[in-house]
Amino acid sequence: MELLLIPLLFALIVAIAPKNLSKWIGLLGSLVTFIAVIARLAAFVPTEKVDLLHTDVITSFKMTFNMGYDGMSLLMVILTAVVVPLILLTSLNRSEGQQRGFNAMVLLMEFGLIGVFTALDGLLFYVFWELTLIPIFLIALWYGAEDRKRVLIKFFIYTFVGSLAMLISLIALGNLAKDFSYESLLEVTLPIKTAFWVMGGFFLAFAIKIPLFPFHTWQPSTYTVAPSAGTMLLSALMLKMALYGMIRWMIPLAPEVLEDYKYIIITLGLIGIVYGAIIAIKQMDIKRLIAFSSISHVGLIAAGIVLFTEQSLSASYIQMVNHALVAVGLFLAAGILEDRLKTRDLSEMGGIAVLAPKFAFWFAVISFAAVSVPFTSGFIGEFLLLKGLFYEHWIIGTIAGTTLVFGAVYTLRAYQLSMFGSPRFESFEDLKWNEIIVFAVITLLVVLIGLFPQFITDLIEPSLDRIYNYIHSVTFQAA
Amino acid sequence: MDALILLFFTGLVVMFTAMLKKPQLVLVTSTFGIAASLGLVVRQILGSTSLITWSYQGLEFDSNNLLYVALVLFLGLLIVTSGYEAFKREPEHTGEYISLIIFSMVGALCMIGFTDMFMFFIGLEILSIPIYVLAGTNKKDIRSTEASIKYFFTGAFATGILLFGIALIFGATGSFDLKSIHDTIIKSVSFGPLIYVGILFILASFLFKVGAAPFHFWSPDVYSGSPTMVTGYMAAVVKLAAMFAFMKMFNYVFVGAISFWSDLLFAVIILTMFVGNLSALGQTKFKRLLAYSSISNAAYALIAMMVASSSTMNNLWIYLAGYGLAVIVLVTIGQMVNDSEDNISSFKGIGRKYPLIGVALALAVLSLAGVPPLLGFMGKYMVFSSAFNEYPILVIIAIVNSGIGIYYYLRLLMVALSSNENDEVREIKPSALQYLVLAVCGVLLVFGGALDYVLNNLISY
Repeated sequence: MELLLIPLLFALIVAIAPKNLSKWIGLLGSLVTFIAVIARLAAFVPTEKVDLLHTDVITSFKMTFNMGYDGMSLLMVILTAVVVPLILLTSLNRSEGQQRGFNAMVLLMEFGLIGVFTALDGLLFYVFWELTLIPIFLIALWYGAEDRKRVLIKFFIYTFVGSLAMLISLIALGNLAKDFSYESLLEVTLPIKTAFWVMGGFFLAFAIKIPLFPFHTWQPSTYTVAPSAGTMLLSALMLKMALYGMIRWMIPLAPEVLEDYKYIIITLGLIGIVYGAIIAIKQMDIKRLIAFSSISHVGLIAAGIVLFTEQSLSASYIQMVNHALVAVGLFLAAGILEDRLKTRDLSEMGGIAVLAPKFAFWFAVISFAAVSVPFTSGFIGEFLLLKGLFYEHWIIGTIAGTTLVFGAVYTLRAYQLSMFGSPRFESFEDLKWNEIIVFAVITLLVVLIGLFPQFITDLIEPSLDRIYNYIHSVTFQAA
Repeated sequence: MDALILLFFTGLVVMFTAMLKKPQLVLVTSTFGIAASLGLVVRQILGSTSLITWSYQGLEFDSNNLLYVALVLFLGLLIVTSGYEAFKREPEHTGEYISLIIFSMVGALCMIGFTDMFMFFIGLEILSIPIYVLAGTNKKDIRSTEASIKYFFTGAFATGILLFGIALIFGATGSFDLKSIHDTIIKSVSFGPLIYVGILFILASFLFKVGAAPFHFWSPDVYSGSPTMVTGYMAAVVKLAAMFAFMKMFNYVFVGAISFWSDLLFAVIILTMFVGNLSALGQTKFKRLLAYSSISNAAYALIAMMVASSSTMNNLWIYLAGYGLAVIVLVTIGQMVNDSEDNISSFKGIGRKYPLIGVALALAVLSLAGVPPLLGFMGKYMVFSSAFNEYPILVIIAIVNSGIGIYYYLRLLMVALSSNENDEVREIKPSALQYLVLAVCGVLLVFGGALDYVLNNLISY
């Protein structure tokens, strides 16, 4: 329980603490959570499931209060606990970082995220899922760019409607089950037609959040108007909720129709890969560029998940972790550029490498991680995913493989346009200590995972295998 | 029953206290009286082993409706407490206004406890007539007078139709008593035209009372013209009593003819949802927004009635409790802002300047929009999931409408929470009582989800 209570408690403390202390208390809160998570990790045996909260209480509408984690949940919790302190660290010397509201909302967000990743009850999952929407909305509303209101209403309605579709699916499932706990929901066998709609509801919610190709229109503008920290939360953690949700909830709850959805989702993913990359190449706004590159990357991950082989699942997982880390790094770099130059337009930048060598170095390191050079985590993840897609069909593999080429083009182009050339500015303040720490931590993690991916695979594979075997036993019976 | 009598005497005492022209005294007497009757009801609910069923000449208070009685008293208490600030602006009339509210609550109690058509009609009139007066208490404002007149005429017309319906039902079944009407309808193999027309007329007048389309035209004008606290009373308490009577009448008395009226209600619900939500989208006036939101909420509540199951009563209770508390928060804040023009834009920035009010407003708005884990979500969820098996299409349309609804709720919230430095934020002077009401409502909205658990486990009938 402490995993959930610590961030919540600190969020409350921050909300009432003196204003000048709030950023330190916020950082402290996220670090304490991190320590608690590491303690949990130390005591964790990958083959086990651990209960955080287990009661026999069933409310009159069949909700139970079951929370717990296995390897795949724990990895996401660890990711949350690593990324949130980094985000708070980057915000230390920004204007929003000084605000009580900001620090409290980031911690509330952490509470919601950990809840999403550990909920083992359909309604509880839904509650936490929606809970994460409020803090991110408020962060963007209070500290975002000038023209944010229209964009944020669109963002909120888009994701809320998606969640309502998921709610319909949950209601349909729950009415057939004896309660909403994960096990009871798994036991339900649906008629094919119902299963189709149930998975459709989940898919809509997750596709909007990821976002997959035709549902992505909220994403670039929201990433652009949100403050850097908000963008990092959105891209590094919130969209992982949806990818996690696909593995944990969508596919196991309606496995009968996985085959029907498989190629739809793979196709959308492939379109997203190419479409996002091409737009990113033409993009002159650096935040939009990263946003579209994100669409391209998550398309690949989503395709890997629905491919549903043991290898593609764990590869997707590595890629999820990698994407979260790299996204934080890239948006940090973009935020630094925007803050100090007061523009996001790449055509107005140039020559910063001369003015700020430290920043140029770390931005280069992150860019290389983003294009997945060998020995970074991105390489392992993308390589295994592409291999899986090639085995499925060579056309799929080829189209997906373009991500490597395109990725190098847009990332290096962004780097070249901003860093090289003759300096357009008189001065550019180099990195501060906290920014260097964030870049260094990210680089360290990316390289570590790249060299020793078995850290992650050992942790998640037993739980992924469990789901994999379950799905195959179900579909085997059906066939 | 003793709660009803106590409440009535409180009304009388308050009316005479008013002659002393001491608003504080009125406040103390009225809140004490209402709280005491609430206490009596709660004691009756909790006294599980020796639950006394009060039954007397068409009135019956038992386990089925005591929770609703408690809710009426509680919401009424909140309205009186938070409305005191507004009512005391005219010290010579404070007592009259508050006693009118109390009398109207007496009517609400009759409308919850009735067991025959006669008592139902009397309850409806006792409930309504004080409201006709209260709607016009903002005497200097011509729109308030308009609201009063409009409400009175349309209300009287609806009452006429209701009486006609009751007469036809009496003609068909030969009884005013609910139970015997119920039995007659259940037993009859085929229905004569009298029953059909009678049910239709009663349905129409009920739809008028709860403000469902196509009988909703009065409500935006009346809601926006009336003084803010009276608007809140209409939305929270009057709707609650009317909904309960509606449920009793159709889910119990006319349940034998469900195949006839459920189709009608089905169409009405869909129409009401779209009318309410789509009209609310463009609203710039706060109380009109409240009116359209109340229309769409009536539609969601009516969904509960489509299903005749044992949990309907409980689901509707949770739903209406969430709605009532959220509305009371909104009208309390609307009262503080006290804008005679009633523009949403005058809420600008108050959430940032007064953080506590901002939190309460955010909770209320998000609860109305149905964001978990707030009470409003619980209510919506329970209503929708209970109806899903029988009417999946209806539930899906309702959920789509919740999606539409989020837009106007969010717009209100964004105005209130906006943080532009150069905005001019209104000076408001919240009183301690108003803060108290906001705090109570806020806490209940957050933890209200657990209410259901408490109700099911602590109270054993």
